[in-house]
Formats: sequence, structure tokens, C-alpha cells
Amino acid sequence: MLEYIKGFFELVKGLGITGKHLTKHAVTLQYPEEKDVMPERSRGVVVLLSDKEDGSLNCTSCLLCMKACPTAAIIIDAPRGEDKKKVLKKFELDFSLCCYCGLCEEACNFSALKLTGKYEYSTGNKDDLIWDVHKLQDVGRDVDYVDKRKKKVKKVAPKPTVSEATDEIKPTQSADKIETKPVEIKTDKIKTDKIETPQDKDEKPKTEGEA
Amino acid sequence: MSNLRTEEFDINMGPHHPSTHGVCRLLLTMDGEKVVKVVPYIGYLHRAIEKICENRTYAMCIPILDRFEYVTAMSCNYVFSLAAERLSGIEVPERAEYLRVIMLELNRIASHLIFFGTTAMDIGALTPFLYALREREYIMDLFEMTCGQRLTYNYIRVGGVSKDIPNEFTPKCRETVATISDKVEEYKRLLNGNPIWKMRTIGVGKLDADLALAYGVSGPILRASGVDYDLRRDDPYSIYDRFDYNIPIYQNGDVYDRYMIRLDEIQESCKIVAQALDQIEDGPIRAKVSPNFKPAAGETYTRIENSRGEMGVYLVSDGTKKPFRVKARGGSYPHLQLLPEIATNCMIADLVAIFASFDVILPEVDR
Ligand code: SF4
Ligand code: SF4
Repeated sequence: MLEYIKGFFELVKGLGITGKHLTKHAVTLQYPEEKDVMPERSRGVVVLLSDKEDGSLNCTSCLLCMKACPTAAIIIDAPRGEDKKKVLKKFELDFSLCCYCGLCEEACNFSALKLTGKYEYSTGNKDDLIWDVHKLQDVGRDVDYVDKRKKKVKKVAPKPTVSEATDEIKPTQSADKIETKPVEIKTDKIKTDKIETPQDKDEKPKTEGEA
Repeated sequence: MSNLRTEEFDINMGPHHPSTHGVCRLLLTMDGEKVVKVVPYIGYLHRAIEKICENRTYAMCIPILDRFEYVTAMSCNYVFSLAAERLSGIEVPERAEYLRVIMLELNRIASHLIFFGTTAMDIGALTPFLYALREREYIMDLFEMTCGQRLTYNYIRVGGVSKDIPNEFTPKCRETVATISDKVEEYKRLLNGNPIWKMRTIGVGKLDADLALAYGVSGPILRASGVDYDLRRDDPYSIYDRFDYNIPIYQNGDVYDRYMIRLDEIQESCKIVAQALDQIEDGPIRAKVSPNFKPAAGETYTRIENSRGEMGVYLVSDGTKKPFRVKARGGSYPHLQLLPEIATNCMIADLVAIFASFDVILPEVDR
């Protein structure tokens, strides 16, 4: 008999613990209406990133991500064009194969690929899970990222556009060179009497005056 | 009435049965409600993980092995990384060791919480399941904030860990560990004295130490039968010797003890995580390891203490960038093997309780 009374009290104790939760708020979210905020490092849909200024793809077709992928979800076709540069012909990502491991993002040195917190891409058709380069880029347009590329690319870029009018540009180029030279001299050889005179005579008085 | 002839009949429990924790088919021969014979049929979740690993580089093996035992994927990451490190003699930075221990123990807590929830649900108490998963969610949040995934982490790598913890991790982790430690007390109040719970668990599915050892049982189930054996202490790895924690032991080896030992282990793991958070110092998190790294030729069997017993990897390297052989050993396989031994001649409801208390997870059995 005593056991039954004891047991009854134990049951009431358990119910009390459950009862306390009646007054508390729910810990769940009503999903389609309310959405959780995904953490920054969240590994969801893979996207291709575009340059923040001109909107072009960051990808240089180096194929590193394709080689790092354990499930062969990425297929890249990038034959070399006439100027020996790789041209990205095809970049496909098969989300039915992808296991969201993040190895491709780690392999990419050009901030061209990122796993994002996006996750709503379910579809009734399996073929829709193969995303081509345009879709990957479009989905990635609003993704914020830290650009870890070296900014070399920018300085090189104006050269080809200049090459057409060679005659006009040459003088300015030489002027550029001359401008930088005296500065070097200033710092290295301060108070040496013989300063190498730059070829251009316009610059000469400047250096002398300062020295 | 006593000479009334009864007829035995066969019944399939599973492969899709809520209490088989995955897809396991138990072929039961029943005499009324009494189980006369149990034959487990396995293989429904076979994904040839070991073979897949042979065709991948070491870095690629880790996300694949995540799926080997997806409830404690950190352990799978870790045991493989450890094996590769032992083969090639890579030194892991101090901070990485601490991060690994924190993640492993958090994962152990998460796994035991699942055990607590599902076992209680299988035996008939639904509420604990909801509570346990609520608490587990805090840990999932911590993992997600660190590595970006909730289940398949790909976090522990050969030579260290993939990312450092974010700033908000430490305070949140401390809070989580303290909350869970408190909640476990609440769970104990909720269930331990409950007469129905006690009737369903005490003295059910007794496993004595000799039988357990004969079957290669390991982990909490072995310790619930009174064998003091924990690989964290008995086959030391990582930096577990720097923490002060107990290894709970129970003597009876019944469902109740197997349940109690896991709740105690949650609290011990909470202690370890709290100490690790105190001791951790800044520093590098990963040794330099090339993505195509080639360990020296050789072989190793590396084992760690997982929440489901001994988890091991037998790794053979032939000096190339792909492993020659990866054999993964999970604790669940011997435990499932033990089921016919223990569950014969019990009631079908007890069979469910026993099976739940073994905490078998089928992907680990089938691989
Ligand atoms: S996340 Fe992993 S599986 Fe998916 S494309 Fe990248 S490397 Fe391949
Ligand atoms: S690694 Fe980056 S840059 Fe190279 S192909 Fe892949 S996405 Fe493009």
C-alpha cells in the first residue's frame, strides 16, 4: 500500500515538471511563416560569387574545386581559348550528389565559390537539381563575402584597352616612370651630392630643391 | 486449459518500425506475447562506406565517414584523423586538441540525449523525447555556428580542425553545458521514481559481465554491467588526462542501469567541456597538411570511446594519397548481435525496451 502511495506521489512530481512547461513559451518555430536565422558559416546551397564591382564571375576555371569534391558533384569544362586563357564553358553543380561538405569552398583560392545559408530549393524534378553557371551565379548575387583575391587583376586590366592607341600613351607612361624614380632616390640617398638626374628635365629642379 | 496447444508464429518487426532506430528487421518467432526467437536482419543501410573511402583522398574520406555514424559524426571525423595522424606522425596543435575534446564531448552529450529521448519514447513516455531534443538543439546550434552543419560536420581534420570557434561560442557553450547539467537532474526527477518506468526497466534485459565481454560489448553498456573499462582512460588518446572526471559504473546490467549510466555520463561530459573551456588557450588550430597528403606506408588500428562504445578505424596506407583499406568498427554491431541472446523468452514489450537500451544505430551496423 505504501508503495502505491509513494508511486502516486512520484507520478504527481513528474506531472508537476511537465506542468511547469505549460506556462512557458514554445521553443519551436512555425516554419514557413517564421524562419530561423542561419548562422554565418552555415553550409547550405553552393553558389558562385560575382565580383563586387563589375558583377563578373570570380571563377578562374582552375578546377581545384572539382578535384576536391568527394562526390564529383561539380563538373567544369574550361578549354583554353586562343590566347591560352581558360574560358569557362560549363560549370554544373549537381545538388543531388553534393553532400555539403564545404571542401570546394576551402579549395577555391579566388573567392569564387561559397556555401551559403540558403536551403529552400526543393523540387519535384530531379533534373532541376543540376544548376548551371547562370543559376549558381544568380542565386549568389546577394551573398556577402570577404574577397581574398589579390588585387593584381585590376592593374593588369587597363593594358589591353590601351594597346590600340600606342602613340598617345607612350609619353604618359614614361612620365609615370620618371615620377616614381626621384622618390626612391630621395629616401635612399639623402644628402648625396650627385643625384642621378632623371632623363626628363622637368623633374630635375624638384629633386634638387628638396635635397 | 494447461494442455491447450499453442502455435508459434513469425512476425516481422521492421524494417520500418519506429523503435528499430533506422532500418533493422527483426524476425520474431512469437508464442503469444512471448518472444521465442529473435533474428536480426541487417544490411538495409549498407552504403559501402569502406569501399568508397578507398577511392578517395584522405581529406575526402572525412565527409564520407561522417555518414558512418551520423549521430556522433565528430567521433567519426576524429577517429579517422587520429589514425592518419598516427600513421604519418603529425603533431596536432594544442588548441586544436582542446577544440576536438570540446566537440567530441558535446557530441557525446547530444547522442546520449537522443538515447534518453528515444528510449523513453519506446518505453512509453513521450515527454522526455521532446525535452531531450530541445536540449540537444542547443548543441546543434553550437556546432552549426562553428562548422556550419548540424549533423555531418566535416570539422575535425587530419592535423587539427577546420575552423576556429567564433567569438560567441565560448559563453554560449558554457551556458549550454550548465543548462544541460541542470536539466539532467530534472530528467532524473521526471523518470527515476516513476513506478511505471521502474517496472518496465528494473531487472529487464539483464546482461552479465561475462556474456558482455564474450560478445565484445563496449562503452556504456559494458560499464552498466559492472566492467570498469573506458578507452579515454585505458587507451589514452588526445588530452583526456588533463581533465578531472569520473567514469560512472553500474552493477546490474539491466535497462534501468543502462539508462542511468548515460544520464550520468552526460553530466561528466559537461564537466569535461567546462574544464576544457577554462584551459583552452589561443594558438594555431591546424598543422600544415597538404590536401593530397600521403602518410607513410603502414597500418594502424585506432580506437576511441564513442557514445556507443568502441569506435575504431583500421587504416592501411600504401604510401599513396588514397588509403589502401579503411575498416570502420562501430560499437553497435556487437550490441545488435547480443540481442537474440538477451531478448529470447521475454515479452515483446520488453524486447523493445532492451533494444532501445542498447542504443543501436543502424548506419553504424551496416556501414
Ligand atoms: S560542398 Fe562538397 S560535395 Fe558539395 S560541391 Fe562542394 S565539395 Fe562537392
Ligand atoms: S576552385 Fe574556385 S576559381 Fe577554381 S574553378 Fe572552382 S570556383 Fe572556379
